[in-house]
Amino acid sequence: MDNDEGDMNTALMVDGNAVGGQLEQIFGRDMTMAIARCAGCARDAPMGALLAFIRGPGIVLRCPACQNAIARIVETPSATYLEARGAAYLRMAPQG
Amino acid sequence: MVQPLLEWQAGRVTAIRPETRQTKSFTFALPKWMAHRPGQHYDVRLTAPDGYQTQRSYSIASPPERSGEIELTVERIPDGEVSPYLHDVLMRGDELEVRGPIGGYFVWDVRLGGPLLLVGGGSGVVPLMAMLRHRAAQHSTLPARILYSSRTAEDLIYRDELDGMAATDRTFEPFYTFTRQTPAGWTGYRRRIDAAMLAEVMRPFDSRARVYVCGPTLLVEVVANALVQMEVPIERIRTERFGPTGS
Repeated sequence: MDNDEGDMNTALMVDGNAVGGQLEQIFGRDMTMAIARCAGCARDAPMGALLAFIRGPGIVLRCPACQNAIARIVETPSATYLEARGAAYLRMAPQG
Repeated sequence: MVQPLLEWQAGRVTAIRPETRQTKSFTFALPKWMAHRPGQHYDVRLTAPDGYQTQRSYSIASPPERSGEIELTVERIPDGEVSPYLHDVLMRGDELEVRGPIGGYFVWDVRLGGPLLLVGGGSGVVPLMAMLRHRAAQHSTLPARILYSSRTAEDLIYRDELDGMAATDRTFEPFYTFTRQTPAGWTGYRRRIDAAMLAEVMRPFDSRARVYVCGPTLLVEVVANALVQMEVPIERIRTERFGPTGS
């Protein structure tokens, strides 16, 4: 990745909060306050505070500490794919 | 309480108001309106005749006290997929697919308490405005300040309303900084937000403040790092990057 591309990716980056709608569609509840533990560096962060890249064909959520890809979401006309190898776990408080 | 399912609904445009050269506020009447928390957003979805769909999320500008409708303030991104449509094509009476309210991370309401420090850049002020409008609607006297950065005075969104709030509420104070051009006679800040500016604005609150930062990535990172240096506990800092600006 050259520098221009790096800058462009950073400029287009938003927070996990911005994809709260897609996450809620998948999980049936608000996930922006759910904690994701990075499988790369073991840091915990609310999903709303992950780095989100949304301008590609899918969504990529990255760890704010080490940039590891925690989850990828792709929506096609017939299915939604969620790949979350980069998360050690997700922790959700009971809904109330 | 089980959360209702998040569903797309058709919002009808009941008002469109220009705010600045690049921003407009859109009021949508919603058949399935529900009270939001200030700071939350709605997703907006467009569908082309060939079935192609695209969506963006936009912060709610209105307070939850305004029931039955929401107001979204949207900056026109010249090469954007959604905002040029909203700005150039959408008219009063049209319907648009929206879903929300969304998000539990970047939210504030009076029950969370204060003092409240809001830091915004450009159209990052929108969710902060929902917080201030809610605070005003609740007649809250929790001390609040906003530090708001924009390129020029003409690019400030909601300036009259912010100044009006300050004129009638001694517990609220707005601070503006202009990064490109300052109005004649301007004696306030004229640079990007930095640690020194932040320290001045938050001095009366010290590290007890609840801080919400919304703007471009660079602003969010400068402010978040400065807050950590100032020993504001991380759990009292909430940030939101709103993505690209028009420049």
